[in-house]
Amino acid sequence: MKRRNRKNLSKMLLVGVIMLLLAPYSLFAGGEQEAQAPDEEAPAVVRLVSERGSHTEAWKTRMEGFEAETGIDLELTQHPYANYFDQLMLNFTGGQSGFDVPYVSMLWYPALAKAGYIQPLNEIVEANPELADDMPGLVNASIDGKLYFIPYMNEVGGVVYRTDLFNDPLERKNFKAKYGYDLMPPKTLEQYRDIAEFFHRPPELYGVTLMGKRSIFLATHFMNRLWARGGNLLGDDMQPIFDSEIGITALKEAKDMFAFANTAALSYDFQEALTEFKMGKSAMAELWTTAMFHVSDPESSQVVGNASFVGFPKPADAQSEKRPRLYISWGFAVASDAENKEAAIDWIEYAIGDKQLAEASPTGTIPTRLSALEDRVLLEELPWLEPFQEALGSCIPTPIVPLIPEGMTMVNQFIAPAVSEYLAGNMSAEAALQEAAQKTHDLLKENGYYD
Amino acid sequence: MKQSKREAFVYLVPGLLFLFVIFVIPLAYAVGISFFRWTLIRPDLGIRFVGIRNYITILGDPFTWETMGRTLLFVVGAVLVEMTIGTAISLALNLNYRGHNIVQSVFLVPFMMAPIVVGFAWRFLLNNTFGPVPQLFRGIGLGNLVEIPLLANPDTVLLMLIIVDIWQFTPFVVLVVLAGMKALPAEPFEAAVVDGANAWQRFWQITVPLLRPSLLVAVVIRTLTALRIFDTVTIMTGGGPGSASEVLSYYGYRTAFQSYEMGLAGTIGILTMVVSLIFTIFYIQKVGVE
Repeated sequence: MKRRNRKNLSKMLLVGVIMLLLAPYSLFAGGEQEAQAPDEEAPAVVRLVSERGSHTEAWKTRMEGFEAETGIDLELTQHPYANYFDQLMLNFTGGQSGFDVPYVSMLWYPALAKAGYIQPLNEIVEANPELADDMPGLVNASIDGKLYFIPYMNEVGGVVYRTDLFNDPLERKNFKAKYGYDLMPPKTLEQYRDIAEFFHRPPELYGVTLMGKRSIFLATHFMNRLWARGGNLLGDDMQPIFDSEIGITALKEAKDMFAFANTAALSYDFQEALTEFKMGKSAMAELWTTAMFHVSDPESSQVVGNASFVGFPKPADAQSEKRPRLYISWGFAVASDAENKEAAIDWIEYAIGDKQLAEASPTGTIPTRLSALEDRVLLEELPWLEPFQEALGSCIPTPIVPLIPEGMTMVNQFIAPAVSEYLAGNMSAEAALQEAAQKTHDLLKENGYYD
Repeated sequence: MKQSKREAFVYLVPGLLFLFVIFVIPLAYAVGISFFRWTLIRPDLGIRFVGIRNYITILGDPFTWETMGRTLLFVVGAVLVEMTIGTAISLALNLNYRGHNIVQSVFLVPFMMAPIVVGFAWRFLLNNTFGPVPQLFRGIGLGNLVEIPLLANPDTVLLMLIIVDIWQFTPFVVLVVLAGMKALPAEPFEAAVVDGANAWQRFWQITVPLLRPSLLVAVVIRTLTALRIFDTVTIMTGGGPGSASEVLSYYGYRTAFQSYEMGLAGTIGILTMVVSLIFTIFYIQKVGVE
């Protein structure tokens, strides 16, 4: 028995040793193939990474044309939006990004730039000086004079509304009789509230659709009003100022609007809010401009051809002033370890050409160049781009979070929960905003902003 | 003797190595990182050793204790009901009747669903506009209970998550307890019948003691997984309204992937592990077999 056990043990050990000797070959077999001397005639390759969204689909339509024109190959990796930023961070912190051109949100690039993960792209504007006037979003794309981000798509905060209801003669007559002025897309906060109240006829129709689930979307309802009233998140000294009287008024107004929304809106995220409007259940919805693409989709929308967009209203006494308005943008950056920066820049310059932007737009993006927005063919296909252009031109495009690495934390971790606590009735508006402001102050102080 | 001990050790080495790599090293890393301040989005600040400061920050924050309280409420509520209902269902399924295999299979369906699918499904079921649950409430004259959506009402949101957890994981308890019941010897029951014991006496004084190993397995596993609930909270509520459904795992997730404070998130992870250990030791001492 002992001899048999010893024999079995020896066999096992022998098998284990053989496996250990073979393992490195299987692990590094792929690496050996990659280590072969590069073929000098192989085309340059630009590795793109992005999320799965409509504007990515839009610039994907340009890839074939670019490859045919330049001979540069493009390789694209896409991730679900929900964990896209986490995936990017994991790649960057791992030491090797694995890509050349990440397609990122404007909110992310400050953190990436500060960490040294992306590199300056000033040569793009130097080679294309017309961009300075033609691309308003560029004002938010630089840190200390270094340009890190090239906007590809953009949108502003506003209200999507039902043109069939607003143009209905009977509705217009009744509205004027009740409020004393003509029914029109809301330009003032007072008009916005009146119209929401007028059309609030539950359960068939709700005055407005809002997003009440605890998230950055909920925070935008507060921020839209904060900016419209002339407030801001941070002062010039980087101290939080959103807990001011203006902020408290803005927060209370945001909660008051829920009185004209479906009670279910208290748990809505962006998709659910969009669905309610597309199903024709509300007269207005406080969403971003790209919602219009979904609203205009005949396969999923019941209000096709009966919706348009207006920029977020301002107080009646501030109509002539340019006030901040929520500005969302996605665009291209170039990784610091990009293997071929010139080819990467070639792709970016191609994609942001005004003709390319205009042709890609119907797929699901809003051009960042004013020249592209004036394209006649595009405006015929997407007539709501005209009010969008007006909304963009009449505001100070303001990112949803301050363009510092801590910006997302401020909004996601402090402001959104504070708004949710107030909405749920757990805290007063003053207490909720003060708590969020204190946490913001503590975070920025710890990270050296007040030294 | 020495020879066989040595041989036994050699056979154990691969398994121990595997455990060391997938358990000990990550655990040591998590413990280690909890003593550092590491802000992922600010690599310029470096990874700084801060000693026990992260623990002071987390344990000194009232929000941590509120979250712990909510988590324990969830765990106790969900596990207690799952064990009770699960055992009762197991008793029923242990009978021999026509089609009992099909019935058993149907009972297991919720357990086979991915938590993320369960989250979306229940979000739909509880939707205040078109979800069948609020419509049922309105149909039986209890519409006032759903004036505020169940998932947006701080008074009902945790209860909803408990109900979803019970729906999904009671089948697991059924599975474990039923397997234990199938293995019980028949003789004690036959003797009890002869001695005149009624059904309740047989259940309480014979079935339950004999089922202790199975019950222990079920309650320990359910407690540990309930402590880690994450998917349904993320999909259904995002921790809201306010923070009414924020649990420890979601708190850790927010700290890691919204604040990007990895050291603090590691501390929350260690805290969760300690709570899990306390529960496990308690169960083994109170419920464990001699």
